Parts: sequence; C-alpha cells; structure tokens
Amino acid sequence: MSEQKKTFVVTRFDPDKDQAPRQQTYEVPVQPDWKVLDALNYIKDEIDGSLSHRWSCRMAVCGSCGMMVDGKPSLTCKDALSDYGDKVEIAPLANFPIVRDLVVELEGFLEKLKSVKPYILRAKERALEEGTHRQSPEQLEEFKQFSYCINCMLCYSACPVVANEPEFIGPAAIALGHRYNMDSRDEGQHERNEIFRGEGTVFSCSYANECSEVCPKHVDPAAAVNQAKFNAVIDWLTGFVTTRGGK
Amino acid sequence: MARPVNPHAMTPSRPGRTRTAPPQAPSGWYTQPRMLKYLLFDATGIVYLLVGFVALRVVWALGSGDAAWAELLRQLQNPLYIAFHVLALVSVVFVAVRFFSLFPKSQPAHIGPAKPPPQPLILAGLYAAWIGVTLVVTAVLAGWVL
Amino acid sequence: MKHLLLKLEPVIWLLFGQGILIGTMLLTGWILVVGLGVPLGIVSPDALTFARAHDLASSLLGRLFLLALLVLPLWKGAHHVRSLSIDYGGLGRDTAVATVMYLIAAVGSLLAIIAVVRL
Repeated sequence: MSEQKKTFVVTRFDPDKDQAPRQQTYEVPVQPDWKVLDALNYIKDEIDGSLSHRWSCRMAVCGSCGMMVDGKPSLTCKDALSDYGDKVEIAPLANFPIVRDLVVELEGFLEKLKSVKPYILRAKERALEEGTHRQSPEQLEEFKQFSYCINCMLCYSACPVVANEPEFIGPAAIALGHRYNMDSRDEGQHERNEIFRGEGTVFSCSYANECSEVCPKHVDPAAAVNQAKFNAVIDWLTGFVTTRGGK
Repeated sequence: MARPVNPHAMTPSRPGRTRTAPPQAPSGWYTQPRMLKYLLFDATGIVYLLVGFVALRVVWALGSGDAAWAELLRQLQNPLYIAFHVLALVSVVFVAVRFFSLFPKSQPAHIGPAKPPPQPLILAGLYAAWIGVTLVVTAVLAGWVL
Repeated sequence: MKHLLLKLEPVIWLLFGQGILIGTMLLTGWILVVGLGVPLGIVSPDALTFARAHDLASSLLGRLFLLALLVLPLWKGAHHVRSLSIDYGGLGRDTAVATVMYLIAAVGSLLAIIAVVRL
C-alpha cells in the first residue's frame, strides 16, 4: 500500500493556557480510503493526545463530528480525505463559541431547539381508548423530510444570519418547529407561529440557501424556514379575522 | 485562518463552566462564489430602489405636461441613464433567475385545503408568467399593440 | 422602534416578496422599452409621445400597472439593503438602518400614489 502524507493545520485552543485560538501543524501518513475523521483520530492516537474533538457513530447519523474542513462546514466522518489536497485546514464549527480545540459550545443551539416547542401539542390529549393517531402516507410526506435532521449544526455554521444576529432561531430549529407545524397530529401551530414571529424571528432569514447546501441529510432547512415564513404570515392574517378561545 | 463574527453568535443564556473563545468564521467565507452570488442578490436592492425612483421621475414628468415629458425623454438618452438601465436589466434578470429557482420549494405543503402544484410546474409557470408579462408590457409600451 | 419593526415584519415581507415577484416581472418590459428601447432609438419614439403615453398611463389599467411598478420594487430594495447591512456585521445599526430604509420605501410609495393620481 502506498503511503501518502498530508499536512493538517488544526485549530488548537486550551482556555487554561491560550489567550486566543492558534494553529498547529501535523504530518499524517494517510490511507486512500480514509475520511477526515480517521486522520484526526490518528493525530490523537499517535501524534498528539491532547487534541480534543467530538465524534461518535462514524456513519453520518449522530451529528457529533461537524467541523470546518478547508473553510467549509462538513461532517468529518463523511468526507473522504481524497477529496482534499495535500494541506487540509481543520477548524471548529464557525459561528459557535469555542470550548477547546475543535469542540464548540452546544448549549446555545439546544436552547434554540427547545424554544420552538419541538413536540406534539394538542388542546386535549387523545384518550388511550381512542387508540393511536391515524396519519396517511400523504400527511407524513408533508413533514417527513424535515424530521431527518441529525442536529449536526453545519447549517448554523453556514448561515450568514446566524453569524450576525444572535437572537435568530436558526435553520435546524426552525425546520424542527416547522416539522411539527406540518404534522397532522399537532395542534400547536398558532403557538409556534407566534414564536416564529417573535424575537428570533424567521423573517430574519435572507434565503441565502447556504444551510441547505451544506446539510448532509438533505433536510433542506431553507425550504422549511421559507415555508415557515408563509405559514407565519397566514397565521398572522387569520389572527385578525378569527377569534381564538383563550389559548 | 479566521475572521470574527458577532461575538454573541450561538452563545447560551448562561455561561459554561470554562472560558470560551469567541465565535469565528473562515476568512474566505464571504468571497467564495456561492456566497458572492447571495451578497450580489442582496446588493440588487440598491438597484431596485434607484429604478423605482427613476420610474417615479418618469411618471411625475408625465403628469407635469408636454414640456416636462419631452425634457425627461431627452434626459433618458444620457449615457449614464442608459448604463444605469443596462445594469438594472442585468439585475432584474439575475434576481428573477435566482428567485425562481428558490421559490418552488418555499411553498408549504398545504394552506388550509389548498395544495400547491408540483415544483417543476411552479418553476415553469414562473418563467412562463415572466416571459408573458414582459412580452405584453413591451408590446404595449413600444406601441406594437394598442 | 425595534418592537414595532418586529410587529410589522409580516407586512414588510409580503411587500418585499411581491416586490421581487411582481416587481421583477413588470420591470423587465419597462426597462427594455422606457429605459433602453426608446432612448436608444431601437423603438420608435412615436411609442412614447406625450399624447400616447399619457393616454396609456391614465387609463385604469395603466394607473394600476404604474402603481405596482413604482411601489413594489422600493420595498424589495429597502429590505435587501437592510439585509446587506446585517450581512456586513451591522446588527448594532440594524434598527436605525431598517427604520431609514423602510421610511424611504414608504415615502416613495406615497409619492408614487400622488404621481399616479395626478396623471
């Protein structure tokens, strides 16, 4: 097997030692079938055990290993190393505070997820005797795509509005809220649409479409956000016409 | 290489247990081609504002009488106005193409009982409408009909 | 002001969306003839004599067309300039920029209504 070497320029940051993030270079002998993650694991195992990075499933379903590779948000377990040149730059996900090395602060994202009430809301819970909710395949199709999100946060790194407006709910969270709004079992559209018109307003989205370009699961959050804008406006308009009973 | 973004981007409401470095973005972020196209799309807003105000001037002159109208038509021949309208035309086409490509997927699966047509049909319909409206407007304004 | 802007966003988004959709469709023909065709002599100047232009414009359809043409692009423009300001790290100045841009669009819309009515 031929041995090829690639140079990795990796962002390092130790809050106890470093004032600001710095870069460290590693020479790594790579195999032709490696993903970027394999190289990072090699660095940690064989060269520099102090490197910190998140990863788990190795198969692009857990969403842990998102990082900036050569300036683009990507899942390091999914991207083939052969797609990159002899020098590869690896940095933590853009637009997130950096905890250490390639690990970013997740809590802000989790707060945004929670804020859209990502669960079935019903005025009255269905009684056990009535059995399960019935949902046709057509009804499922209306939101199924948006349920495939693995919370990898690549879309937040790609979004120019996330970079500039901290209050913005953001692509994945809006897509998740929209997923529930379009779920036929849900009755919480009005509540969520009010959140969508609130501080983190969906209307901050400027339809750059970068989120959908980087999404590894083809969720198309840009479609979700812009559908959500439509629904939020309809909800706002119908609010003038109908009266709501004490919700 | 990194450039700073809003220092509060994606920051939680309560600080974590350790000091974090502020959020950053790759330095070439705003110059990669796809991002440039998006920024250009936003920048056409300036052109649309100007086109709107020029059109306002035109209509105002039309309501101000024969002499004002003749003077305006003369001014529109100024090379600066011509260059501006060429830029406006390019902007309008650029906006149309980008917006039409993004519009079909932004229609929710249903609004009440109404469902949108399939996405390729929406796209075809948009282009058909654009060409149709342009032909009609051009024909009327240019005196080929009416 | 920030709260007012938030409350008005659905309306602004609707105007902005139609500015792109309807505005772009109407503007293409307008630019081709009024901006380029007639001034460059490609289209006969007889098309836009004062008599003909005024007749067309002051018809009901003409006034509606001109109203849409004058008003809608302003809202697309205002909203996108505000977007551009935010894209370049302008959150701090956003309330001011948004207020100024939407005021410009509003004043332009008002002038447009006057311009169309006084034809």
